[in-house]
Amino acid sequence: MKLVSEIGVGTVAAGVAKAKADHVTIAGFEGGTGASPLTSIKHAGSPWEIGLAETQQTLVLNGLRSRIAVQVDGGLRTGRDVLVGALLGADEFGFATAPLIAVGCIMMRKCHLNTCPVGIATQDPVLRKLFSGAPEHVINYFFFMAEEVREYMAALGFTKLEELIGRSEILDKSEAIDHWKARGLDFSRIFHKPQVGPEVSLSNTERQDHELEEVLDRKFIELSKDALENRKPVKLDLPIKNIDRTAGAMLSGEVATRYGHKGLSEDTIWITLRGSAGQSFGAWLAHGVTLDLIGEGNDYVGKGLSGGRIIVRPPEEAKIVPEESIIVGNTVLYGAITGECYFHGVAGERFGVRNSGALAVVEGTGDHGCEYMTGGVVVVLGGTGRNFAAGMSGGVAYVLDEAGDFEQRCNMAMVDLEPIPAEEQFNAQDQHQINDMESHGLVDLTDMTKDDEKRLRQLIQNHLHYTGSKRARQILENWGEYLPKFIKVMPVEYRRALEEMAEAQAAEDTGLAELEVGMPDAK
Amino acid sequence: MGKVTGFLEIEREDRSLEPAADRVRHYREFVKPLPEGEVKDQAARCMDCGIPYCHQGCPVNNQIPDWNDLVYHTDWQEAARNLHSTNNFPEVTGRVCPAPCEAACTLNIHDDAVAIKSIECAIADKSFEEGWVEPQPPEHETGKKVAVIGSGPSGMACAQQLRRVGHEVHLYEKNAQPGGLLRYGIPDFKMEKHIIERRHQQMEAEGVVFHLNTHIGKDVEAKKLLSDYDAIVLAGGSESPRDLPIEGRELDGVHFAMDFLTQQNRRVSSEDLGDVEPILADGKHVVVIGGGDTGSDCIGTSFRQGAVSVTQLEIMPMPPMQEDKMLTWPHWPLKFRTSSSQAEGADRDFSVSTKRFIGEDGKVTTLECQRLDEEMKPIEGSEFQLKADLVLLAMGFVHPVKQGMLEALGLELDGRGNVKANTNDYQTSTDKIFAAGDMRRGQSLVVWAIREGRQAAHAVDKFLMGTTDLPR
Repeated sequence: MKLVSEIGVGTVAAGVAKAKADHVTIAGFEGGTGASPLTSIKHAGSPWEIGLAETQQTLVLNGLRSRIAVQVDGGLRTGRDVLVGALLGADEFGFATAPLIAVGCIMMRKCHLNTCPVGIATQDPVLRKLFSGAPEHVINYFFFMAEEVREYMAALGFTKLEELIGRSEILDKSEAIDHWKARGLDFSRIFHKPQVGPEVSLSNTERQDHELEEVLDRKFIELSKDALENRKPVKLDLPIKNIDRTAGAMLSGEVATRYGHKGLSEDTIWITLRGSAGQSFGAWLAHGVTLDLIGEGNDYVGKGLSGGRIIVRPPEEAKIVPEESIIVGNTVLYGAITGECYFHGVAGERFGVRNSGALAVVEGTGDHGCEYMTGGVVVVLGGTGRNFAAGMSGGVAYVLDEAGDFEQRCNMAMVDLEPIPAEEQFNAQDQHQINDMESHGLVDLTDMTKDDEKRLRQLIQNHLHYTGSKRARQILENWGEYLPKFIKVMPVEYRRALEEMAEAQAAEDTGLAELEVGMPDAK
Repeated sequence: MGKVTGFLEIEREDRSLEPAADRVRHYREFVKPLPEGEVKDQAARCMDCGIPYCHQGCPVNNQIPDWNDLVYHTDWQEAARNLHSTNNFPEVTGRVCPAPCEAACTLNIHDDAVAIKSIECAIADKSFEEGWVEPQPPEHETGKKVAVIGSGPSGMACAQQLRRVGHEVHLYEKNAQPGGLLRYGIPDFKMEKHIIERRHQQMEAEGVVFHLNTHIGKDVEAKKLLSDYDAIVLAGGSESPRDLPIEGRELDGVHFAMDFLTQQNRRVSSEDLGDVEPILADGKHVVVIGGGDTGSDCIGTSFRQGAVSVTQLEIMPMPPMQEDKMLTWPHWPLKFRTSSSQAEGADRDFSVSTKRFIGEDGKVTTLECQRLDEEMKPIEGSEFQLKADLVLLAMGFVHPVKQGMLEALGLELDGRGNVKANTNDYQTSTDKIFAAGDMRRGQSLVVWAIREGRQAAHAVDKFLMGTTDLPR
């Protein structure tokens, strides 16, 4: 867990420790990537010394320090930084800028432009040739720094770094405090050392038992044995609680170990779960696994989704209005690569962030929807927050804009908004196919520049099928009325790339489908 | 930043020179300005580095990426304003600066540096053509009187800065025209003198009072300044040349470089030479001792006067043709360079020490030299003789002239014989006397002199007023 060094960070770190994190990083305001704006480089957070001191004191006072490793970073350069960090309570130290400089970084701050003139932060083959760094440069740097740490430790009379972690009383601070610029400032709280008994550790001394043998996925794996070993369909119905995190991830690991990314055939393992799921529900869910959650999800539902299907819907007896109620948390589908999800309710912020190929239907989103998305399809059957499609370079989103004000909430830097044309070729055969759920309602993704109506209708049809959404039913029943209210969000670069690919493919006269972004195995 | 990928697409193009055979026939400048479109292309190569090393490479901290971008976007007037905000005389540095900024340019690591000097010169020349360089007289007078001694680049920059914040500035110059080494040292073919004249006019219009032909310590008693002025800035340069006290030094035909160069500049400007003996190179075999910039100016001037041959001797070994950029960048590298004057046909020899001058009838005819090994020790048996009718000593300057003003003021000197003052307040050992430029730091570049003049002006203004808005 990485925390920004600022007032109150100790409390957060204590919470992180109680939640059994093995590791917490206190990040100071110095250092950082050259790609960020100067305002962020200069004005985010506070010096790491302040956050680290607070973290150490809070963890020690609460008897939590022994079980968690505290790391510090943010512009660390020298052995002296390491020593001061250790005395203020850090077990580990993060370095990035300094070793980068050792291999030739000259702090151009053009990391985001692909024009790094020393060949570090660039994919341009011409510039990459100019990279003159070597692993030995980094090794040298760390050896010199370790040597400096050793010298300081020798001067202080220590032989092991562990012995001086948290010993803030050793810091010689008079010179710093007596500096004229520090006049009038009170540093005593930074150097305060909590008075605790000898039984309270000042550094990370124990390994935690995460009780991984007890997690819900062990039950999934055991009960899915027939599916995993013999590819036989399995249907489960189990309760779930919010301490059951990353449900489905270990099961997906088992699937992937045996069958690779291709996984099992559709719906081989169908698990119905009832209750409130913990974080990262359905993370990395593999092909052939469907999680049908009757209840609600937390943050990071479908993180890294890898082919599975996730359905989240409220219990039928719930009295809430689904299209107005949050059903899943923030950052849903973070970095998903393929798969499907249907959420009968509203999602939190950053829905679909960095999605590169999954399909999703949701009935509303918070701010920053589809941020940095590079592939896949997102359908929003309701309102969105502001800054929709920021940095979206691929995939498409269909947003139902009943109020007609979506454009104001969309970040137009990289995308075009267009209506969805009613297609004449939407013929009877297609109609039949869509209504035939036994054919699994396959969504046609061959050409994202057209067939929008067909694709959209199919996805909403699926949504109705899996969640029983009244909203979906209403839209489908009044299709002619709702279709003009849908807006297609199309990234400009994505369209250009698709058109170029189509031309290249036409030349080769082969099928386009295999090239389709993010959906190579879905069909 | 102008063009993100400019440096990947555009090659460095610099100003071309008139062919040597043509340019040695006159004393005019021979560097051909780049066409405007080409200047824009060159500016597009700038990468707008997050850490612009050129800022530090440039002694006056020119905001190079900023005006490169402005030039790329054809906003020449704003570029000129920006350039003048850090440098009083960019048309001078655009001509005679060795451009340490280009050595520090990030592109210089793996590629060729941005043509910063040419862009600077183009901006400066354009601002004169368009009439953007106007006198900036102060809005109000402070009532304080400041004397600036010496009208070289340091004194001129200092005087201009101080006048612009409202002080009554008196600029003293011992010669007939202002400019110092810009006027009397740098030959016209490197920089024509009307360039100094238009700055002279600008400064007079701003209200700087020029006292020409006024040698402090000779024509005016130095101590008198202390009672007449609220502050005094000494910017008299570092004019004591390094001598070569060996056998035959007294022979006719052995001269200091500056005596030779000054005469020629006066001739070109039709200025009275006074009652000095003319030093001319026509029809002579010339030997220049010293491999620096002054030596190069002697070579170019000798060729223009009609020398039969010019040989330049350097006591240091020949530097490498290419520097190891991993070791030198972003600093100024020691490497083999050929100046435009050297390219006009001079013979150059390295690791050579002069043993004695040999003459006939009191006139020098021959130089006896000896080669030096890697440790600068003479190699036995390596003696050789060079034919020489004119020997020019261009071995640098050791410190300011002490006789006269400095002695009269009784200022403390540093270990090298320069006037002692630091770069924070530029204060000498005597209250209200300041020192800047070569007089304080010893012989250096024009651009360093401008920097010191500007910073000293900042210090003087702060000394007089308590606070200052002048940049450092």
